[in-house]
Amino acid sequence: MRKKNKLAVSLKGVTKKYAWHYDKPTLVELLLRRKVTSSFIALDDISLDIKKGEKIGIVGSNGSGKTTILKIITGITTPNKGTVRTWGKVVSLIDLSAGFHPELNGWENIYQNGLLLGMSRKEVSRKIDQIIDFADIGDFINAPLYTYSSGMKLRLGFSIAVAADPDVLVLDEGVAVGDWDFQQKSRDKIAEFFAKGKTIILVSHWMDYLEKHCQRIVWIENGKIVGDGGLSVLVKYQKNKKS
Amino acid sequence: MKTKKYKRWFELLMAMTLKELRARYKMAIFGFLWMFLNPVLQMLVMGFIFQFFVPIEMDNYFEFIFPGLLAWNFFAYTVSKNTPMYVNERALIQKAKFPREVVVLAVVLSNLFHFFVALVLFVVWLALIRGEIYWQLWWVMIMAVIWLTMLTSGLSLLLSSLNVRWRDINFGVQALLPLWFYATPIVYSLEWLPMWLTDWLKINPMTGVVELLRLSVGLESGGFYWQGLLVTIFILTLGIVVFKRESLFFDDWI
Repeated sequence: MRKKNKLAVSLKGVTKKYAWHYDKPTLVELLLRRKVTSSFIALDDISLDIKKGEKIGIVGSNGSGKTTILKIITGITTPNKGTVRTWGKVVSLIDLSAGFHPELNGWENIYQNGLLLGMSRKEVSRKIDQIIDFADIGDFINAPLYTYSSGMKLRLGFSIAVAADPDVLVLDEGVAVGDWDFQQKSRDKIAEFFAKGKTIILVSHWMDYLEKHCQRIVWIENGKIVGDGGLSVLVKYQKNKKS
Repeated sequence: MKTKKYKRWFELLMAMTLKELRARYKMAIFGFLWMFLNPVLQMLVMGFIFQFFVPIEMDNYFEFIFPGLLAWNFFAYTVSKNTPMYVNERALIQKAKFPREVVVLAVVLSNLFHFFVALVLFVVWLALIRGEIYWQLWWVMIMAVIWLTMLTSGLSLLLSSLNVRWRDINFGVQALLPLWFYATPIVYSLEWLPMWLTDWLKINPMTGVVELLRLSVGLESGGFYWQGLLVTIFILTLGIVVFKRESLFFDDWI
């Protein structure tokens, strides 16, 4: 009998070190040994299992390791120690306008971005009308990206990311983008993901938002998990911040 | 599942290659025409300069230098564009997890397309001035192109990975490429050099590529030098190994 896997993300003993660089790193410096290389530990032996369908909020002060943990979950970077496993497609809604090419038009950018996010060509072709429809940027879809306003880029980025049909969604509070209409639309879309039982990882400084949407809160401080549990962790975190 | 993964990889590579081609010609009125005009103009300019301003007495100097010039242009342009590629494309790296190698391989492929167009034009032009098509050694030409692609890909992977960690690699490459040009028998022939120097130049993989390309279009001075092929295999292996190790951590350095 096969046991059905219930996990979406599993981190085991994950440690991530970064080298400090004050300036651009160069080979000449290395050869001359003029530079004292120092590193800091962004994540220190973190183990974390996220179940399928879980809505999890990650809190912590600036520089606590929140961003690093997201980068590791999305696979943008790799831990120095430990293992990361993810099941299903992980898509990040943070930094939506990244990965566009300014010289290409909307259509071409949809294909490129879609493929980068792990869709197949066929899948993009099938969903492209839906993507364009959702982005709702009118004739700009035929124009090169450098003519877009930043709001349009975000809208297009958002539409592609949600069309990728992620199993695990990584987002932050700034996810409601664009003008008021689109904000409404993107909120509805996110709500849809919540309702569909997708795994959602949320990073936010906005406590009300976390309180409303998450059942589980992970609190990270100095690269270590200091709290993991229900909303009570959030209360503790807030208390700690005030004191 | 496995084949699906390869298919996706290939689709991504093709999309990135097309992006390279499109982004370059998108805004031009001639569009597609530029893809052909570019190498032709390049050939004319290069040929003109080297025919009239380099004082070398040689029959058919024009057709002698072209195979080498075309191969060199492909090589130098690709390597110098690829070396800072991951630093320049940091937005892509930070966007998502995807096979990082497609970024530099797409540049190799799109430039290979240009090189191929130029090569075909050159062969046609040769056929016109010779009055016959010389195609007995077409497979040698294919081998030369594969060799050149292996070398360029290997070096691109190696240098682009190293440049993420040490930004002065790029300066080194820009400084060394012109020297490398003259260390390759492109505007001169190996026969004109003393023996000891020739032996050294044979280690240069570009020597092997250029001479093989000459051989394939029926130029007497061409030949096959295995030393350069060994060096190429070494560079390609080293490039893949370094890339595989470093690409996991690109995001940490950009």
